Amino acid sequence: MAVEKKENLRNFCIVAHIDHGKSTLADRIMEFTGQVAERDMEDQLLDSMDLERERGITIKLTPVRMSYTAKDGKEYIFNLIDTPGHVDFTYEVSRSLAACEGAILIVDATQGIEAQTLANCYLALDNNLEIVPVINKIDLISARPDETAKEIEDVIGLDGSSAPRVSAKNGINIDQVLEKIVELVPPPEGDDEAPLKALIFDSYYDNFKGVICFVRIVDGTVSAGMRIKTFMGEKQFDVTEVGTFNPGLLPKKTLSAGEVGYIAASIKSIEDIAVGDTITTSSNPAPDPLPGYKKVQPVVFSGIYPLDGSKFNDLKEALLKLKLNDASLTFEPDNSAALGFGFRCGFLGLLHMEIIQERIEREFDIDIITTAPSVSYHIYKTDGEMIVVDNPSRFPDVSYIDYAEEPVITANIFTPPDYVGAIMELCQEKRGVFTDMTYLDANRVRLNYTLPLNEIIFDFFDGLKSRTRGYASFDYELAGYEKSSLVKLDMLLNGEICDALSLIVHKDKAYPRGRALAERLKNVIPRQLFEIPIQAAVGGKVIARETVKAMRKDVLAKCYGGDITRKRKLLEKQKEGKKKMRQLGSVEVPSEAFMSILKIDSDSN
Amino acid sequence: MSGIYVHVPFCKSKCTYCDFASYPREISKADIYFACLYKEIKGRAESLKDYVFDTVYLGGGTPSFVDEKYIVGIIRQIKNYYTLTDDCEITVEINPETISEEKVKAYKKAGINRFSVGLQSADDKMLAKLNRIHNREDFLLATKLLKGENLSVDVMLGLENQTSQDVKDTIDLAIDGGASHISAYALKAEEGTPMFGKYLNGDLPSEDETAELYDFARNYLEENGFNRYEVSNFAKDGFKSRHNLNYWNRGEYIGFGVSASSFIKERRFTNTEKIDEYTACILRGVVAEIFSENIEGDEREFEYIMLSLRKDEGFLFSDFKERFGTDFTQKYADRIKLVKKYVEIDENGIRIKPEYIYVQNTIIIYFMD
Repeated sequence: MAVEKKENLRNFCIVAHIDHGKSTLADRIMEFTGQVAERDMEDQLLDSMDLERERGITIKLTPVRMSYTAKDGKEYIFNLIDTPGHVDFTYEVSRSLAACEGAILIVDATQGIEAQTLANCYLALDNNLEIVPVINKIDLISARPDETAKEIEDVIGLDGSSAPRVSAKNGINIDQVLEKIVELVPPPEGDDEAPLKALIFDSYYDNFKGVICFVRIVDGTVSAGMRIKTFMGEKQFDVTEVGTFNPGLLPKKTLSAGEVGYIAASIKSIEDIAVGDTITTSSNPAPDPLPGYKKVQPVVFSGIYPLDGSKFNDLKEALLKLKLNDASLTFEPDNSAALGFGFRCGFLGLLHMEIIQERIEREFDIDIITTAPSVSYHIYKTDGEMIVVDNPSRFPDVSYIDYAEEPVITANIFTPPDYVGAIMELCQEKRGVFTDMTYLDANRVRLNYTLPLNEIIFDFFDGLKSRTRGYASFDYELAGYEKSSLVKLDMLLNGEICDALSLIVHKDKAYPRGRALAERLKNVIPRQLFEIPIQAAVGGKVIARETVKAMRKDVLAKCYGGDITRKRKLLEKQKEGKKKMRQLGSVEVPSEAFMSILKIDSDSN
Repeated sequence: MSGIYVHVPFCKSKCTYCDFASYPREISKADIYFACLYKEIKGRAESLKDYVFDTVYLGGGTPSFVDEKYIVGIIRQIKNYYTLTDDCEITVEINPETISEEKVKAYKKAGINRFSVGLQSADDKMLAKLNRIHNREDFLLATKLLKGENLSVDVMLGLENQTSQDVKDTIDLAIDGGASHISAYALKAEEGTPMFGKYLNGDLPSEDETAELYDFARNYLEENGFNRYEVSNFAKDGFKSRHNLNYWNRGEYIGFGVSASSFIKERRFTNTEKIDEYTACILRGVVAEIFSENIEGDEREFEYIMLSLRKDEGFLFSDFKERFGTDFTQKYADRIKLVKKYVEIDENGIRIKPEYIYVQNTIIIYFMD
């Protein structure tokens, strides 16, 4: 590396509403700086997980280091940290922000400012980052760059007139973005001579090198051979390798103050490192740690159980590994009468939950059953005690409940005016309370609602998208707890309560949801050798009933001239299907049944 | 005892439900096909010289469609090279429209002593829909020619718009024709057949409706002295099909011709379905197998359970012990517990309760690995 001067260093991230072109712009920047030869470009290079590419979203932050010769003739080092756009991953965003001095804020010229543009922008401002607004997708016919620039000024209060107008897709005006980074983003401060302070903003486990810590060096320097420790951990480690991202790991002799890179120190156990902790040296430790991050609390909870009970330990291992670079995931052992041993897990939101589920199944090859998501309720008992309940099976008997509270959110919804009616109707159905409505311009309205969180996790987002043909965007913030009438809805299969299907619901929703759920279960539970009654009950009172009729015929009539193999293979196939089922008492239930609770609203509406 | 199966892959026209190896447009290949068949029969003889066979079955396709000389030739070839018991059951499948006095005479002379007639339905409209070439009248004529012979009749359940009255008419016709054995098969719409389109369109009776028809057929047949001895097979006393029972007893058999399956010395193998590929192999002097697997260990036991439980009588623990050297009730105690409700079990043996025999797949699966 030719240039290592701190004033030529720029650490920045990109924030945007989902689909506004974050990953594409990141790719273009890397291409432009020659970081990656064009032929090696895979679309959306930073989205390294299959899942991220398939869904077109960024989940994990991935840093990359680039060098750029600016128009002033000097060479600059850029550290770009990609960030997720979805509301569930606000936490990840805040982590990467802490490692940066600046943030590129992308706004789609065809859509203008959306809910997450605003949320992420405020987050960046809170972290004292310099914001570089960029107007993207100017190549599209429907682009309205002038209006977008005005919106940036009106809604966010930034200067939109000098914002580069680019097409990340077609590589137009990318150089302007790079120049703006040089111009606006300040170089990092920090003292190479001071004791080491390195903020861990992410980590993952490598089979050969142990835990790889992604760090921002705030003060001091670090190189191989040094003995390090963290403030929260007890253990000490010898640094085996430090380096930067290109975007793979590129070893380097030293990382010094202001730099973004990685540290490997043969750290074998995932639990030894906490994201947000500060690394320092053993010989000359810094007196106190960096502030770290505001720890996020999970808001959505569900049970995850191995389909095959003997895989419990594998599941535990998988969760530990996932937690290593996803500090927001929480879990504790749990057991269900129906599903055996598993974990009660906490997530940042529904998407986060789905992602974790899919990663467990794909990356660790464990078939799992996930129970319906729940939020965490405050139950005030008649004896004065308050208990926090995020698991329906812990919901106390009604006679012990004085009153209950449920978490609520304030929702920010951006929409074209045509859909205001539809959105209000949806929010009404979801027990929302209207607070405010603002016309941003002739084409855009901002609606504010207070909504119970447990309504949001039941397909609110899907409902919003379908009722507004995808035009509305939505972001929310937790807004404390409010008093609510809650009941526990039980589902009975063949007369037995199936605890894994129980739900905590608002009293007024118990009947429609119970009925819809019974119907849904009837459709997903295959016919068996006996008749299966499905009942929904609240406090022992049955409120809905369906029946799965007994199977009448499954035999293969003819044996095909002695082709026994064919028959055996058919049976093997049937057996495979059976393996995907869970035995609950005498009833075999397919794993999707446990998630079916999620889908009932979209069916019944 | 062991069985011999011979496949005749020719027919006059393809039925809408048929996915067997049967080729109406390839009858011109009959000469070369049967020449190869004879060669294959001869070729396997040496390796099977220690076997005694008590059943031979000529299936298809429509064996009665081809010139009787070919059929006579098959029997002659088998008798020349294999050891058959004196009372060997020798069955030929017949389509009522293709039979004649000459053919029956020639078959009987060759030693054929059992005739399996595909009636399927007594209703001419239903037959036409299935693209069957025969009608009710043809069946009556055929049974006249076969009067006094050991006669088996195939009927189908679950046809489009079929009612229990239709099933009754068909069974009545079969009985009037002198049947001593009736196979009642449920229609299965296989992918790739014209029938599959009907299935997708929802034109066929549901599984439940078919099960109703089956229950009706079973009761009606029993009223008329036909006892079920296997899922789809009913016989008067003394007329069970030896050939089919051999499959369900997990007996050994050798199959000749295209698509024929064999089970010899714990090896299952199947010939190619294609006539040209078959003749090419046989002419080159190699086997025409496209599939082969050795059945090992517990798979053998599972096969036995799967096949034996198709039979009304189930199986005897002593037979299980004799074959596999293990005690069934001990080894499978936990599985037996799971299916207890659906089987009858005593100190001698196990059978599926009659009311559950039509849902036996679900029961059998409990015994898999």
